[in-house]
Amino acid sequence: MGPLSRDVWAQRLGAFRASPSAFMAGPEAEDLGRDLLGDLRNEKLSEQTKVSLLALSLEYPAQLWPDATAAEVAATSLLDTLVLLPPRPSALRRPLLLAATTALAVGGALGPTSGASCRLLPLLLGLAAGSDLGRGFVPASEQRPLQATACECLRELESCKPGLLGGSLGLLRGLLGQEGPVQPLSLLLSLALRNTLVLQSRAGAGLGALLTARVSPTAGGPWDWALVEEGDGRLQPQAPSWPAAEEGDGERSLTARGHSPEEVRELRAAVAQLLDTSYLLTPVAQAQLLWLLGWALRGLQGQPPALFKPQLVRLLGTAQLTLLHAVLALKAAFGEALFTAQDETLLLRRITLAAQHPALPPSTHLFYLHCLLSFPENCPLGPEGEEAAPLLLGPQLCRGLLPNLLHEPTALLARLHLLCLLCAEGEEEEEKGQLPSPGHYLEELLAGLWQRAALEGGPRALATLCFQASYLVARCLAGQPTVLTPLIHGLAQLYRARPMLAPHFVDLLDQVDPELREPLKVVLRQEVVSRPGRDEALCWHLQMLARVADGDAQSATLNFLRAAAAHCTSWDLQQGLLQVCRALLRAGVGGGLVDLLQVLARQLEDPDGRDHARLYYILLAHLAGPKLGVALGPSLATPALASSLVAENQGFVAALMVQEAPALIRLSMGSHEVKGPLPVLQLLPEALEPIYSLELRFRVEGQLYAPLGAVHVPCLCPGRSARPLLLPLQPRRPAPARLDVHALYTTSTGLTCHAHLPPLFVNFADLFLPFPQPPEGASLVFFEELWDSCLPEGAESRVWCPLGPQGLEGLVSRHLEPFVVVAQPPTSYYVAIHLPPDSKLLLRLEAALADGVPVALRTDDWAVLPLVGDYLRGLAAAV
Amino acid sequence: MAQRAVWLISHEPGTPLRGTVRFSRRYPTVEKRARVFNGASYVPIPEDGPFLKALLFELRLLDDDKDFVESRDSCSRINKTSVYGLLVGGEELWPVVAFLKNDMIYACVPLVEQTLSPRPPLISVSGVSQGFELLFGIQDFLYSGQKNDNELNTKLSQLPDLLLQACPFGTVLDTNLQNSLDNTNFASVTQPQKQPAWKPGTYKGKPQVSISITEKVKSMQYDKQGIADTWQVVGTVTCKCDLEGIMPNVTISLSLPTNGSPLQDILVHPCVTSLDSAILTSSSIDAMDDSAFSGPYKFPFTPPLESFNLCYYTSQVPVPPILGFYQMKEEEVQLRITVNLKLHESVKNNFEFCEAHIPFFNRGPITHLEYKTSFGQLEVFREKSLLIWIIGQKFPKSMEISLSGTITFGAKSHEKQPFDPICIGETAYLKLHFRILDYTLTGCYADQHSVQVFASGKPKISAYRKLISSDYYIWNSKAPAPVTYGSLLL
Repeated sequence: MGPLSRDVWAQRLGAFRASPSAFMAGPEAEDLGRDLLGDLRNEKLSEQTKVSLLALSLEYPAQLWPDATAAEVAATSLLDTLVLLPPRPSALRRPLLLAATTALAVGGALGPTSGASCRLLPLLLGLAAGSDLGRGFVPASEQRPLQATACECLRELESCKPGLLGGSLGLLRGLLGQEGPVQPLSLLLSLALRNTLVLQSRAGAGLGALLTARVSPTAGGPWDWALVEEGDGRLQPQAPSWPAAEEGDGERSLTARGHSPEEVRELRAAVAQLLDTSYLLTPVAQAQLLWLLGWALRGLQGQPPALFKPQLVRLLGTAQLTLLHAVLALKAAFGEALFTAQDETLLLRRITLAAQHPALPPSTHLFYLHCLLSFPENCPLGPEGEEAAPLLLGPQLCRGLLPNLLHEPTALLARLHLLCLLCAEGEEEEEKGQLPSPGHYLEELLAGLWQRAALEGGPRALATLCFQASYLVARCLAGQPTVLTPLIHGLAQLYRARPMLAPHFVDLLDQVDPELREPLKVVLRQEVVSRPGRDEALCWHLQMLARVADGDAQSATLNFLRAAAAHCTSWDLQQGLLQVCRALLRAGVGGGLVDLLQVLARQLEDPDGRDHARLYYILLAHLAGPKLGVALGPSLATPALASSLVAENQGFVAALMVQEAPALIRLSMGSHEVKGPLPVLQLLPEALEPIYSLELRFRVEGQLYAPLGAVHVPCLCPGRSARPLLLPLQPRRPAPARLDVHALYTTSTGLTCHAHLPPLFVNFADLFLPFPQPPEGASLVFFEELWDSCLPEGAESRVWCPLGPQGLEGLVSRHLEPFVVVAQPPTSYYVAIHLPPDSKLLLRLEAALADGVPVALRTDDWAVLPLVGDYLRGLAAAV
Repeated sequence: MAQRAVWLISHEPGTPLRGTVRFSRRYPTVEKRARVFNGASYVPIPEDGPFLKALLFELRLLDDDKDFVESRDSCSRINKTSVYGLLVGGEELWPVVAFLKNDMIYACVPLVEQTLSPRPPLISVSGVSQGFELLFGIQDFLYSGQKNDNELNTKLSQLPDLLLQACPFGTVLDTNLQNSLDNTNFASVTQPQKQPAWKPGTYKGKPQVSISITEKVKSMQYDKQGIADTWQVVGTVTCKCDLEGIMPNVTISLSLPTNGSPLQDILVHPCVTSLDSAILTSSSIDAMDDSAFSGPYKFPFTPPLESFNLCYYTSQVPVPPILGFYQMKEEEVQLRITVNLKLHESVKNNFEFCEAHIPFFNRGPITHLEYKTSFGQLEVFREKSLLIWIIGQKFPKSMEISLSGTITFGAKSHEKQPFDPICIGETAYLKLHFRILDYTLTGCYADQHSVQVFASGKPKISAYRKLISSDYYIWNSKAPAPVTYGSLLL
C-alpha cells in the first residue's frame, strides 16, 4: 500500500481506538504497524498526523509489534527516523524517543544483544548528560526538553530492567550537581540508587565506587547488564506495600551486608543532595522521591532516617494528598525512629483534620479517613491488616468525622464504620464527660436511614444504603445487645412499611451472623404471618416467608398460607406459595401442612403448581422426617445419612424442577422447500447429548407471521442424522423475520431442561412459492397476463443484478429454477414468484452482459421493492 | 506509583449508553509491570466500551435500579472510598480510582506492585494518591476558566499532548497541566540557576502581587431545645505574584483585628517554605480557649507563575452573621410558614445580594399563595414549588425582617417537582444565599505593608476580600431535622 493521506489515517486510527481487538481481527490489522513506521517518513504528512501515529504506538505497541523481533525492527526504524530528521526544531523528537523506548520495553527486546538497545541507550544517556551529539542533532531550543525526556526514558527502562543504570550513579550525581534539570535527574538518580541498593547487596559491587565513578557517557557505556542479570530480571517494587515488604527477602538482605564507613558517607551525601533540592520538584514528584528514598534506606546501617526530618514540617502543612501519603509511607517505613510519640500525635491530627477539611474534595476526605483507620501506629494493638481506630484517636478527635444523613452514601458508610469502632471501644468507658454518647447517636442515625428507605417511591440506592449500614453495624457490634435489639426492631418496622424490600432482607439474612439472623428471622416471620394474606405485597411476603419459615409458629404460618392460597391466582404467586411449603417441608412441619398441600393439589389453577403440591404431599405422607429432609436437599439437620444418598437425592430434587440449561441442541436451516400452498422451513436438529421428548417453541418477532406451532421430536442422539423438521410459515406480510427459539427437553439423567437457542433468520427468498404450472404452450401468455395485472396499483422497477463467474444460466438454475415460467437459455428468463399471503413478484432477466444482467421487475406490493433489490444484488455473492 | 490507564467519561443520562468515553490513555510499559507484579491475580485493562459499562454500573449511573441486583445491591458490598472494583468479563479490575464531578467521570487504574490477592490496603499503594492528584489536575485544567462546551472540547483535544508532557510513561510528573501547556511555550528559556519544575518560565514585566481572601460561611440552624445551631467559616487565600527572577521570595502575613476569630485548620500550598508550629497545631479539633494563637500568620514562599491558593483555613466566629428561625405547619390542605431573619449588628450591612430560597419537596406545584412580608420581594416558582425571598442589598434599620404566609399545592407529578429523601412531611429548610464584598467574617486581612518581597523592583500590592454564604440552612423548628453529632448537646 502506498502512503496514506491524513484523512485515511484519521479514519483508521479512529477505527482502531474504537475497539482495538475488533480492528486487529479485521483485514487491515497486519499492515498497520508497517504502514505506521513507513508513513512517519512520508514528507506529505503533517507533523501533527505523525504525532498522532506515534501516540498510537505509545499506547498499543503490543498490538502493532507483537513479538521481540518485530519490536526490535520497529525500534530500529523509529531511531532511523529520528536520526534522519532535518536539523531544525521538530515536534517529533520527543515522541520518537518515547516510542522507541516503549517499543523495546514492551516488546521484550531490551538487552545487550539488541542492536536497537545498543543505539538507544547511549543516545539517551548522551542527551541526558546534555552532551553535544554533533551534526546539529539537537537544535538548541530543544536541548532542555529532550534532556528531560531522555531522563524519563531512562527511568522507564530502569523500572523495567532494575539495575540497568547501576553503573551510571556517579554520572547522574554529577549532572544533578551541575545545571541539569533537577526533577528528571533527581527521580532517575533516586530510582537507580534504590535498585542498586537492593541488587548490589547480592552482587557485592562497591557502592562507594559506583556513587563516585564518573563514567563518560560516550565511552562504551556504563550499562550494568550484569547487575540486571543479578536481579534475574525481577522487577523491584518502587514503593513496596507495607506490611507485605516485611517478608520480602529483597528488603531484609539490605541489612545483611555492612557498608564501609566511606560508602555510608557517600550514600548519605547522595541522599542529602536529593532531599535538599526536593523543594524544586512538583508535589507529585516530591512524593515519588520520598517513597523511593524512604524504602531504599529502611533498615540500612548507618543511615539515620533523621535525614528526612527537615522536610517533614513543610510537608505536614500542605493539603496535597500525595505529600501526606508519602509522609505516611515514611511513618510506616521508619516508625519510632523518625516519629516520636509527639510527632505521631501531630501527624494523626493533621490527617484527621484533612479528612474533614471543607476546602478539600470529598474523595480526598474518604482516602484520608481510610488512612486514619489503617494508620501505621508506633505501637499497634489490634491485629494487622484490619481497619481499626488508632489508639490516639478518641471520640473528641473524631467529633467532626461522624456521619449524618446529609452525607453521600460512600461518605456515610465510611464515617459510620468509624462511629461503630468508637461505639465498640466506648462500651467499657461509657459516659466519660461532655460528649453525647456515640451509641445513642448511632441509634438515631439508623432510625433516620430506615425512615428514608421506607419512603414510598424512593430510589433503590436509599434502600441499599440503609441495608449496607445495618449490615456494617451488625458486623462491627455483633456482641452488643444494646445495639442489636433496636436494630431488629427498626428493620421489622421497615419491612412493615415497605414489603417490596424483601430481596434486601433475604440478602441481609444471608450475610449476617446467627446472632442477628435468628432473632431477626423470628420478628420478620411474625410481621408476615400477622397479615391477612391478601395484600398487594403478597409476592414479597411469600418470598420473605420462604426464607424465614421454619418449625416454629407453625399454625400461624399455615393460617397465613391458607388465607393466601385463595389469592394466589398467577403462576408466580403459586410458585412463591410452593416455595414456602417446601421450606416448611424441609423444616419438618407435618400435620397442618398435609391438609394445605392436599387443598393446593386440588385447587391451584396451574397444572405445574398442582403437580408440585401433589408431589410435596406424597413426599410428606410417605417419607419419615430425616428422609424427607434429604429428599429436599442436603441439610445439616440430617447428618446420619451417608453422602451418597444425599448426592442421589439432590438429583431427585432437581428432577422435580425445570432446569435452565445451556443449549444441547443446534438447529440449522435445510434446503428450501417450494411445494404446497405455504412456505415451509426445513430445520436440521443436531444434539450434543442424547435428549428425549424435545419440544421446540418458536416465536416470531414483530408478528409478521401467524403464531407458529411447536415441533416435537421424541428422541435425538448425537451423531445419528435426524429427519429434517418441517416448520410451515403463515406470513401476514411477505417480509423476512427473526424467530426466537426455546427448547424443552429431558436429558438421559431424567432432568427436564429449558434452553434458549440462537435465533433463526427467515430470509426473503425462503418465502418464495411458484405459481401453478400453466398449460403447455400458454406460458408466455400466462406470464404477460400476470405482468400486466401488476399495474397500476403495484410498482415497476429495474435492478442491476451482478453476475458471478457462473453467468446468467448458472444463477437462474441455482436460485430461481422453480419459478421460471418462460426460459430461453442462456439469454432470457421470465420468472413469476408468488409471495404469500397474496403478492406476486415478476422478473424479466434479459440481455445479460459479462458482469451482470438488467432485471425488469413488477410487483403488486410496492413494499417488497427494497427487499427484491437487496435480494437480486446479493445473488452473485450467494454461493 | 505509576498509572496503568486514565479515562475521562462524560455522564449523559437519557442516552442509550448513559455515557461516552471522551478521552483514554493506556500505559503499556506499566501494564507489562502489572502483569509481572500481580501474577495470577492480574486482570488486564479492558477496552473502552466494556470499561464504560462496568464503571457506570458500579457508580449506579445506569438508572436501571428497578430490581434488586446482588452484585450491586448486596448489603455486604460496602464501598468506603472512591476506589472501586469493576466486574469486567467475569474478573474484577481493582483498584479503579473514580469520581464524578460536573457530569464528567474521572477514572484511572494505579499500578499495584504486588499480588492482588489478598488485596493490600489502599494506604500502602502509592499509585492511589498519585492517581487522585492526576485526576484532580485534569479536572482543574478542564474547568478553570472554562465557560461553554466549545472551550471544554478544545481543552479535551489538548489532553493527549499535555499528558505526553505531564505523564509520558504513566508516572505523573506534574499535575498542573497548564504548566505543561506553558512548558512548550517557554521551551527556549535556558537558565543558569536551578529552575523549579513547577515553574516553567520566568515573568517579565511590571512587578505586582495580588492577594484575595474569600470566606464562605456555612450554618445549620434549628431553633430547638437540646440541639445546638452550628456555623463555620472556611477561608481561601488566593495569590497571583507577577515578579521577575527565577525564585523570588515573598512573605505574606494575615492579620486579625483585636476581637478577630483565630484561624484554624490551616493547609498551605506546597510552595510555602516554612511554617510556624503555632500555625501547624492550631486546629478546630481542640476545644477553644483564650490562649489560641491569633496571628499574625506568616507564610514565606516562592510563588509559581499562575494564580494559586496560598492557604485554606477554618474559623469559629462567636455568632452566625444571620440568625433565623423557620416554622412550617401543615394545616389541612395548606401549609403555614413563618420566617424570621436577623442580621447581627457586627456584620457589614451592605450586600452584593441576599436571598432566602424556600423549597417545598415531595409536593405538587404551588397553586395558591397568600403572604405578608416586612421587607423585600417574594418571587414564586409555581412549577418548581419554590419561593425566593429577595432581601436585596441592605437589611432595614431594625436588622430584623419577617415573612409569613399560607401555601396550597396541587397534585404531585414526579417529573417536575423535586424528590428529596430528607424533607419528608414537615421536615423542611430554607437556604440563605448572600455575598458581601470587601469584608471577612473573621476580620482576617492581608496587610499590604507587611507583605515582604525579595525581588528586583517594588511591586504594586493589591488585596481583596469577600464573604459568601455556602450551605446556609435554617430548618423548620416544628419538625425533626437531620442533626450532626456536633449539634447534639447533653
